[in-house]
Amino acid sequence: MLRIDCPCCGPRDHDEFRYGGDASVMRPAHDDADFEAWYRYVFVRKNPAGAHREHWQHVLGCRQWLIVERDTRNHSIASVALARNPSGKKPPARKPSQ
Amino acid sequence: MSSNFNRLAEGGRIDRGRPLDFSFDGSSLTGFQGDTLASALLANGVSLVGRSFKYHRPRGIFSAGAEEPNALVTLGTGGRREPNLPATMLELADGMIAESQNRWPSLAFDVQSLNSLFAPFLSAGFYYKTFMGPTRRAWMFYEHFIRKAAGLGKAGLEPDPDRYEVRHAFADVAIVGGGPAGLSAVRAAANAGARVALIEQDFRLGGQLLSERRGSEAAAWLQTVEAELKGFRNVSLMARTTAVGLYDGKVLGLVERRDDPQAAGQALQAFTILRAGAIVFATGAIERPLVFSNNDRPGVMLASAARTYVNRFAVLPGRKAVVATTNDGAWRTAFDLAAAGAQVTVADLRTMLAPALQAEASRLGIAVRAGTHIADLRGGRAVKAARLAGTGAETEVDCDLVCVSGGWSPTAHLASQLGVKPVYREDIDGFVPGPFAAGQFGAGSVVGGYTAAEAIETGHCAGIEAAASCGKTKPVPAALELQSAELSAAAFRNVPAARGKAFVDIQMDVTIGDIALAHREGYESVEHLKRYTTLGMGTDQGKTSNFPALSAMAALRGTTIPETGTTTFRPPYTPVAIGALAGRAVGHHFKPTRRTPLHEWHVANGADMLEVGLWMRPYFYRGAGRDVNEAYVAEMQFVREAAGLMDISTLGKIDIQGPDAATLLDRVYANSFAKLPVGRARYGVMLRDDGIVFDDGTTTRLGEHRFFMTTSTAKAAEVMSWLEFLLDTAWPDLRVAVASVTDEWAAMSVAGPRSRQVLAAAFPALELSNEALPHMGFVEGEFEGRALRIIRLSYSGERAYEVYVGASAGEAAWRRLIEIGEPFGLRPYGVEALGALRVEKGHVAGPEIDGRTTLDDLGLGRMVGKRSGFVGDVLRRRPALGEPNRQRLVGLKCLEAGTRLSGGAILFKQGEARQGHGRGRITSVTYSPTLEGYVGLALLAGDVAVGDEVVAVHTMKNETVRASVVSPVFLDPEGERLHG
Amino acid sequence: MVETGSAISVAACTIIQIESWPETQAACEADLSRQLGAALPAAAGETVAAAGWLAVRIAPRRFWLIADGGPQVDWNIDPTLGCSLSLSEGRMRLKLSGQQTFNALKGSVAIDWDSPCASPGRALQTGLHHVPVLLLRNGPDACDILVPRSFVRSVIEWLADIAAVSDIQNEIVRRRA
Repeated sequence: MLRIDCPCCGPRDHDEFRYGGDASVMRPAHDDADFEAWYRYVFVRKNPAGAHREHWQHVLGCRQWLIVERDTRNHSIASVALARNPSGKKPPARKPSQ
Repeated sequence: MSSNFNRLAEGGRIDRGRPLDFSFDGSSLTGFQGDTLASALLANGVSLVGRSFKYHRPRGIFSAGAEEPNALVTLGTGGRREPNLPATMLELADGMIAESQNRWPSLAFDVQSLNSLFAPFLSAGFYYKTFMGPTRRAWMFYEHFIRKAAGLGKAGLEPDPDRYEVRHAFADVAIVGGGPAGLSAVRAAANAGARVALIEQDFRLGGQLLSERRGSEAAAWLQTVEAELKGFRNVSLMARTTAVGLYDGKVLGLVERRDDPQAAGQALQAFTILRAGAIVFATGAIERPLVFSNNDRPGVMLASAARTYVNRFAVLPGRKAVVATTNDGAWRTAFDLAAAGAQVTVADLRTMLAPALQAEASRLGIAVRAGTHIADLRGGRAVKAARLAGTGAETEVDCDLVCVSGGWSPTAHLASQLGVKPVYREDIDGFVPGPFAAGQFGAGSVVGGYTAAEAIETGHCAGIEAAASCGKTKPVPAALELQSAELSAAAFRNVPAARGKAFVDIQMDVTIGDIALAHREGYESVEHLKRYTTLGMGTDQGKTSNFPALSAMAALRGTTIPETGTTTFRPPYTPVAIGALAGRAVGHHFKPTRRTPLHEWHVANGADMLEVGLWMRPYFYRGAGRDVNEAYVAEMQFVREAAGLMDISTLGKIDIQGPDAATLLDRVYANSFAKLPVGRARYGVMLRDDGIVFDDGTTTRLGEHRFFMTTSTAKAAEVMSWLEFLLDTAWPDLRVAVASVTDEWAAMSVAGPRSRQVLAAAFPALELSNEALPHMGFVEGEFEGRALRIIRLSYSGERAYEVYVGASAGEAAWRRLIEIGEPFGLRPYGVEALGALRVEKGHVAGPEIDGRTTLDDLGLGRMVGKRSGFVGDVLRRRPALGEPNRQRLVGLKCLEAGTRLSGGAILFKQGEARQGHGRGRITSVTYSPTLEGYVGLALLAGDVAVGDEVVAVHTMKNETVRASVVSPVFLDPEGERLHG
Repeated sequence: MVETGSAISVAACTIIQIESWPETQAACEADLSRQLGAALPAAAGETVAAAGWLAVRIAPRRFWLIADGGPQVDWNIDPTLGCSLSLSEGRMRLKLSGQQTFNALKGSVAIDWDSPCASPGRALQTGLHHVPVLLLRNGPDACDILVPRSFVRSVIEWLADIAAVSDIQNEIVRRRA
């Protein structure tokens, strides 16, 4: 059970969320006619064994889309941020004495 | 009690004032509160408790814990029947009725024990080699008999009437294991201010301390600490609870058995998902047996188990004991047996023995043989004698109890379930958990601290660290100490020569010979060894056999232990009833049910309700026909001839508001919406980013900056998430808010030539003429104080109106329409007829929008016009999606009267060989009362033209039907019925 | 309704959803705060009671104003700053009270009731048996649950079933003691 620390709602079970795939790929602008750019965005993935930036939506909670950094080898989550505010990254709750 | 002839007169942690009656294989026996079923059986002198998996050899109680391979019983009858329960883990309850397993007609005389005569042919891998026939059918034939011959208990076939529960729990520090290490950790963490949960599989706390003599320092320590812990407010002590799984996110799965002592055989189990800030693994260690000829006879048990039976349960498992060991620890068993009155011989593999041990043995009259091992055992249904070999001549010693100890294996299973492989430590000759992830800690025997003193110290430290990792750092008083002696051990690495069977996995009947065979045949890796021999695959999951097996394989291969490695550990640690995992989510609670505001009316008025995803929808109404096939045709007819009323409340509805609302729609729909006039609706199709059709629906413009979008029922949630995704990640600057309003509105469709008359009569205040409300128009009003919206659009091809009203007024509006509509011939119709009507009109729906079709495939390419810049625009132009032989939407009509079309049939051209995928498939079908025959929609290769003949083949129904390819719009192709 | 240590009542629920545009969040909230007559809750999950309404921050730019016996108000939102939407038909309010309330909830939602996020006065959006709900913790033994209308009957049946099990469990605990 992954525990995802939603910036709005706090730590929740992963089954409150919908997975949205790789967040590191660049979505072309809505009116970008470049076939290659769309092809890469839709079909080409690095699929790393390691850190993966990905989208999750908190569908049973605040319904915000999030960007989660998850290690695909061991599910350890390094950070969670609102997709609208990626720089406001929140690392998983670490207590002061750590 | 006179029947408990193995019960010691004094001692034990049993309540002699509370005797309990139970039965085993029909015999009535007695035990005491505090017994396990196993200890009570031993007290009554029951030594034969089961027959082994493959060879049906007689077996006795081997252990005192979850590692028990032999004493598996079935409790309960009928739907409550629960097989494969280790008697060593069952708290004795009054009225308990237990049955042994895998024997017929009885334990004493089991017909299938004759298997042992075929033993040479039943070695490892025999399934793979023997039961091979020319075809796969041969295995299916043999499997039937193998299943009957080998096995454990039998499951019940009736529904389980018991209730199970799933609970959600949280803690700062979760501590698995209630022995000295775990208890010390609880004490430290609780003092530091953490919220602590202690999980212990036994019904008593104490772990190895429970096997110490009453009146010992250890017993006193346990009593003190337990009392102290009960005084903490922030500590939850969960006994009878096994931590069966470790999951990501520091989550543990726990199973608690709540056998109510007052309700015999009635087990309530609770599965708790415990989310912890930190976890301390204090799971202890399991003793290793020794491998020698006939080491599986009844009367052979782990040395620590014998000690537990003597000290904790006041049972003497035998009067003449041989204790065979490689280490000091098992000598305590010898001492305690002797003190309880048994005649004891110690056979220690080591040649150098500690003087203190020898002195104590001498004092107690225990015979000692150094450098000696057991070569063989005599006795079938009970052990009679042991043949000892080693330094000095071979001798035979009479015995009725053989206690074995080959050292200890840390119980690293749970800690290893997330894929961190255990690590070999030479100093303890065992595997400890691999490096702990942040927030996880180990203490006690599981990390190699085998003495009570080490357990307490490591537990105390782990408790402090675990609490600190959660930010709880209040000062903690020093650990409560307990002295214990140093215990030394030696590792032995050999493959003993054996005349009889020398078992490594006692439960699965896997011998040293089988391991050697696997090695000879090349199945050398531990993962192959496991599957080829089935070693470690029983209900005990190899808890006593994994290490001896990999040790033997290492010796055969000439590799080291770490090189040989362990197999992968997975949940559950011990077997879990599926019912416990389901909790109350069974029957109609398996998933939640969604009901429309009209649900009660449907049920009260003859609707046959259908599950559509989570929704309940009317399938058909019994007033229209006796079954669905009769009813839908009748319902179609009155919709086309008079008027029908349909509940469409399940459609997804989305409110879209904001200055950039039109921009959003223009980007997500393939067709244009920005110029849609206020008060008009438009059918829209959305594509996926890859150019494939995603969903269709209708969006109505309520105002300059406000739209009302509907989606299909099935895709409502996905479309909502998709819009939110685009706004949150791709176009965050757009000023638009989207919100699901599916449950806000009750929705119903009035369809048919008389629909306008019905509506006008039902809502006289509204202006509903063709001029005021043309096709695809919209009006607003009020009904009983709630908002009312009417959109004139059609799914059926008849003049139709979708009526939306606030959900709380839904039923009232429906009733009004039914009542007012009756004289016009208005009747309700269900989803079957709904689907049939749209097929006649060639409207695509789910079966056509199946995630593989494009706009062009569906004949909707013209909707796009010259637009660009919408989702899916670029990739829909991929060359492959424009290939001429792609399957396109067509209509099909039967060529021969009395034949029918079936959805899913494969289409072939006339004269083509009927093989493979053909030229296309039928997607939707209906009987058309108007055309008096079956019609269908199909996706058919583009080179098959309208007018051509095809053959529709449905192999599962054995149907072959000739059909002609026609336009998919079977009725009113000009759409005249929609207008005016 | 089983005779248990808890009770469930069902009522309609008036909710107005207010959402501001990304660039105009501050101005929109200032205006709403003025209309409400109180400061708005600062973080998601916090609530503020004012003028017979409970204001809940549902998401960074989204509020629910839940009527709590207050007068009907037409919240006036400047369309250049944000928008409003009535959600008064689509949800029902279940009121749970009694000793078994949180025992029943512990079998239904994965919420840490001892955490500050779940203290009285807080709002939590979560899944209850796969249904999206809003929980309003009113007191140590009291909780309101806002449930989408189409799921209400299913959720009540589920809660009643869970509450019945808790009672069986307490029976057992009592007998054992």
